[in-house]
Amino acid sequence: FKSVRLLDIIIDLDGFVSFFIISAFHLSYNMLLNQLRCEEGDPENLLRNSFFQFQADRAIPDLEKQIKSLEKERNSMVIEEEESLKNYYNLIFQHKSLKKDICEIVFTPKYCLPFLLPNRAVCLDCTNDDEEQQSFSIEDQDTWGVIMKFNKVKSLFEDDDNRRPEDANYTVDVLTRCMVSKDGVGKKKVKAVPIKERGEPVVVTVPLSQIKSLSSAIMNIPKDLVPLEARENALKKVSELLSRHPDGIPLDPEVDMKIKSSSYKKTVRRLEALENLFEKHKIAKSPLITEKLKVLHMKEELTAKIKSLKKTVRSSTTLAFKDELKARKRVLRRLGYTNSDNVVELKGKVACEISSAEELTLTELMFSGVFKDAKVEELVSLLSCFVWRERLPDAAKPREELDLLFIQLQDTARRVAELQLDCKVEIDVENFVQSFRPDIMEAVYAWAKGSKFFEVMKIVRVFEGSLIRAIRRMEEVLQQLIVAAKSIGETQLEAKLEEAVSKIKRDIVFAASLYL
Amino acid sequence: MVMRKLQLPLSQTQKVRFERGIERLQSLSSTANSDASVIVTDAIPVNHDDAFLKGHGTSEVDGELLATVCGVVERVDKLVYVRTLRARYKPEVGDIVVGRVIEVAQKRWRVELNFNQDGVLMLSSMNMPDGIQRRRTSVDELNMRNIFVEHDVVCAEVRNFQHDGSLQLQARSQKYGKLEKGQLLKVDPYLVKRSKHHFHYIESLGIDLIIGCNGFIWVGEHVEVRDPMAIDDEKDEEMISSSAENTGKEQIHTLLETRQTICRIGNAIRVLSNLGFTVTLEIIMETVNLSNSKNVDIHDMLGSEFHVVVAENEAERRRTKRKK
Repeated sequence: FKSVRLLDIIIDLDGFVSFFIISAFHLSYNMLLNQLRCEEGDPENLLRNSFFQFQADRAIPDLEKQIKSLEKERNSMVIEEEESLKNYYNLIFQHKSLKKDICEIVFTPKYCLPFLLPNRAVCLDCTNDDEEQQSFSIEDQDTWGVIMKFNKVKSLFEDDDNRRPEDANYTVDVLTRCMVSKDGVGKKKVKAVPIKERGEPVVVTVPLSQIKSLSSAIMNIPKDLVPLEARENALKKVSELLSRHPDGIPLDPEVDMKIKSSSYKKTVRRLEALENLFEKHKIAKSPLITEKLKVLHMKEELTAKIKSLKKTVRSSTTLAFKDELKARKRVLRRLGYTNSDNVVELKGKVACEISSAEELTLTELMFSGVFKDAKVEELVSLLSCFVWRERLPDAAKPREELDLLFIQLQDTARRVAELQLDCKVEIDVENFVQSFRPDIMEAVYAWAKGSKFFEVMKIVRVFEGSLIRAIRRMEEVLQQLIVAAKSIGETQLEAKLEEAVSKIKRDIVFAASLYL
Repeated sequence: MVMRKLQLPLSQTQKVRFERGIERLQSLSSTANSDASVIVTDAIPVNHDDAFLKGHGTSEVDGELLATVCGVVERVDKLVYVRTLRARYKPEVGDIVVGRVIEVAQKRWRVELNFNQDGVLMLSSMNMPDGIQRRRTSVDELNMRNIFVEHDVVCAEVRNFQHDGSLQLQARSQKYGKLEKGQLLKVDPYLVKRSKHHFHYIESLGIDLIIGCNGFIWVGEHVEVRDPMAIDDEKDEEMISSSAENTGKEQIHTLLETRQTICRIGNAIRVLSNLGFTVTLEIIMETVNLSNSKNVDIHDMLGSEFHVVVAENEAERRRTKRKK
């Protein structure tokens, strides 16, 4: 099954792939205000009868059945000496996490980069991810290899240049014994395996986190590693080193790598203490310890799954959008759209009329007098920011007056978004402010001034259809604003808006049909 | 609170008590906006550098903003407008209104609403008696008289305004529609403030009270409102057949007490309207309880003594409320 949002359902012409529809129901201020305006309106009733609620309710019996079966399974697993076993299990996990902490500290680029020299022998962590069960000893699987070089990873953030070289991500190219396999789609998968096992010597790129320890030995390896023999020889040299020095002469972090941070020392001390505890633990000597641990691990996983399912059931039984509804009502009260009794006031009545654009920001703009001083064409350009939601990469910056209006718009939007955040509505302030795009302001200004359509198309590089759709939507918004202006009694503004409508409603953009 | 001269003969002592009561009420009312009241052609103080929006009741003459009506100046952000204290009913979309049918016209009823135009209730905005949603045919048009006739009292909701300024009404739920077994009262529209609920059901007395925003108030015997979604088919048929029987036979008698209560509430509303108090459920019930506790006869409620008593009581009530 593929999951698709209700708004973007795609019909697969080929055949019979079924889609599972997820409801995209959401609350909007316009809807809420109109519900409050009429006596019959009951937003809670609307939410209760929505498709979203229906889907949430429908999933509940299934989830409860799942919970029951998982609980049964979990209770059927019986282990002897469970208490001490759990203790041991926790110790193992603590040990693992401490080791990871140490590795993180030692292998921050700040400390280890100077030591990632070519031809240095290195120990890699190659625990097999494909296995279902984790290993339960304090020894992990590892393999040895030779460093070729390290690379800096280019991340997707735009301010990459601002990050210090010490903080960026790195990967290391290592020559080690690997298992090369092809998975279903034909892509080659290279996996490092212990040096004694079967496989071929290949250079593989590993992230910095996979390196367990660096050796102080630097191998003498030929430059040319293309022939298989050269690579085999290199790995043979590494095995020789290991046989002479089983621990591979590791670089001591404190002495050689000069790591002096206090957190490192503390973690090392804790690790030593933990390892002592392991020796002394009474259960460590009992037979079948690994099997028992595996069973315990499965049991713990089941418990975690049951907990998360129970949480989902609990959150579905409550009304889906109830908290959001309360928060939004709070926003309306704060902004003065409704009074404390939730009776709609004058500002709210204006916002009721607007449904094609962001109602709060537009109403705030209207009541702050921005529309009054602007000329007709500038007004139209400002409205275009409300209907154009795509991001054009190479759009021209609008001229001074338009830019000024746009900044006012952004300020109002920011104020509205911050108030919403204050009232605990989930909203990302920057995202919200950035959603108003000034990309077609210039084009719409030209259209309102009277240019022909092909001249307008030269100003901005978009699909013609998108631009026409935007202008038509703007006309809708203007009509709604005319009704709103009439209700507050501003006749001048109403006349200005009607003039704006007459200026943009012409020619090919508003042609009813292109063919007749 | 707007005071009007009482049109009743008051004896000397009654006059004294009355004036005292009114004085106390005036002292309790907020004096915040008293300097914002304007009369026609008063200049409204406005900061001309700021962009301000001119709302209803204002007009710009020679660079000055003048008031065109008498009232109180209100400011919402940059919008400046004058709110009148006593005016004709100004409808808003979503208002509950009560009106009387004046005319049965082609596919619509004209309803008198205490507005400068008649409200129009379209046949298509009305639920059919059998409850089915369907297209209204010419047969339905010919049967319009079976639903409403002239002089019927109906309750509806304002749907929208036509471009010529007339109102369009709708009565799309069971709560709206023809009102029977009760009394229609007319008060000044500015005495009814918009609130959350306009339909009130007083359970202890079994009375329905509908406070229309246009100043028409309906007091009547309680009618069970059927929730259309909660009924299954069998019960539906039963109900339709029983209601058909009812209209044929004699109406079921309303109890004497219910009728008396309706009259008492009606008189209470008349008293409040004479005194110029805002009409809300709270104050109506307060007045009714007062008349019961003082054993005032229903006819006597419209006498001058009761008016004075109500004024004093209201002053007392507001004072205690202020203290809390």
